Amino acid sequence: MSSEPPKPTEAPSRPGAAPMVVPADLPRDELEHLVEEFGLDPGAFKTRQHLVAALQERKALIAAMDREAMLDVVRWGRRPVPVNSTKEQLALEIARIKSMRFEGLSPRGLCVLAQMRGIRLNGRESPEAIRRMLLRQEGFFARFARRRRAFVGKLIAGLLGEAESEGEYQFLPPQQSPPGAAPTPPARPASIAEDIEESGLLGGLASRVKKSADVYLNQKLDEIEQRIDRKLDEIDRRLAEWRDKEIANRIRIIKITLWASVVVAAISLLYSYIKVYFASR
Amino acid sequence: MPEIDFFHFFRLGVGWIATIYATLTTIQSLYGWYVYLSSGDRYTSLMRRYLLVQAVRLRFRAFAGDLLVCLLLCILFLIIWRAHYPIWQIESIWRDVQRTAQAD
Repeated sequence: MSSEPPKPTEAPSRPGAAPMVVPADLPRDELEHLVEEFGLDPGAFKTRQHLVAALQERKALIAAMDREAMLDVVRWGRRPVPVNSTKEQLALEIARIKSMRFEGLSPRGLCVLAQMRGIRLNGRESPEAIRRMLLRQEGFFARFARRRRAFVGKLIAGLLGEAESEGEYQFLPPQQSPPGAAPTPPARPASIAEDIEESGLLGGLASRVKKSADVYLNQKLDEIEQRIDRKLDEIDRRLAEWRDKEIANRIRIIKITLWASVVVAAISLLYSYIKVYFASR
Repeated sequence: MPEIDFFHFFRLGVGWIATIYATLTTIQSLYGWYVYLSSGDRYTSLMRRYLLVQAVRLRFRAFAGDLLVCLLLCILFLIIWRAHYPIWQIESIWRDVQRTAQAD
């Protein structure tokens, strides 16, 4: 077994793009997964070199994106990210957004979303045009399936009696981990209808059950943590009491010994005095 | 024939024995703690820190009264101890005077 790290190979680069380093021994399936995470379709690339080139191109595109526009998309998509996330982390979250409801998304956010979904823009398109391009890119069958899921979602939401109201979006607390690590996604506050529209009936319901289980688990873990903290405080308090009692006991023993010594010394003094007094008579 | 004062003999005997015993027991206990705490393993290191924290968190004001009493008792003991010497000197002088008078 070799102790040397795998040698990275540099992917063929586009002029002006930042070089992307991909480990030389990265298996093809992992490379495909990486490509998919960045919002690309791995089936569209025949060879490994093509995959690496596409990844590099996507990374260069992300580097050129406006961070505020990316945050707009994250807010609109209600993705759980810390406010100090890197562009790459934001891009990974944007790539996970499948929603086709563009209401509330700013024009610059729309540009970022379109670029992440593989639409090439020249910067002169109107928001309406971008919207149309996104809808056209979705395809007939995908749109049909989405509408069917939306219908089922509404039906299920009506059956469950879930309200559509959503709170204001909040970023996660700033991350302490080194940049590059993907944030752990907690429960996303979206309605069940939206979940079903995005992931299908079973996927949406499973996602909702998972979210409820996560919330319950987190609540229970918090309770357990609080109980452990209370117990630790109690143990600490009792130990402090025991320490104080022990020291008080030791000091009392020393005091008794000293009293005994003083009494014996006083008796001895009295005895010496009496002996000298009567001897002088 | 040497003159033996049984009271002083008992007092000094008990004093010496008790002092030696207390000193040996204290040294033995301190050495045991030293050996235990000088171990380099993780738990002993934790214990060292814990003891240090407990020592820092100790409230001396709670024991200040008792400590003051102990200090005053120590001073009183020293004074009484020192007070023996003038009496013994008087006794010694008185014996010398008596011996001189008998010789004359």
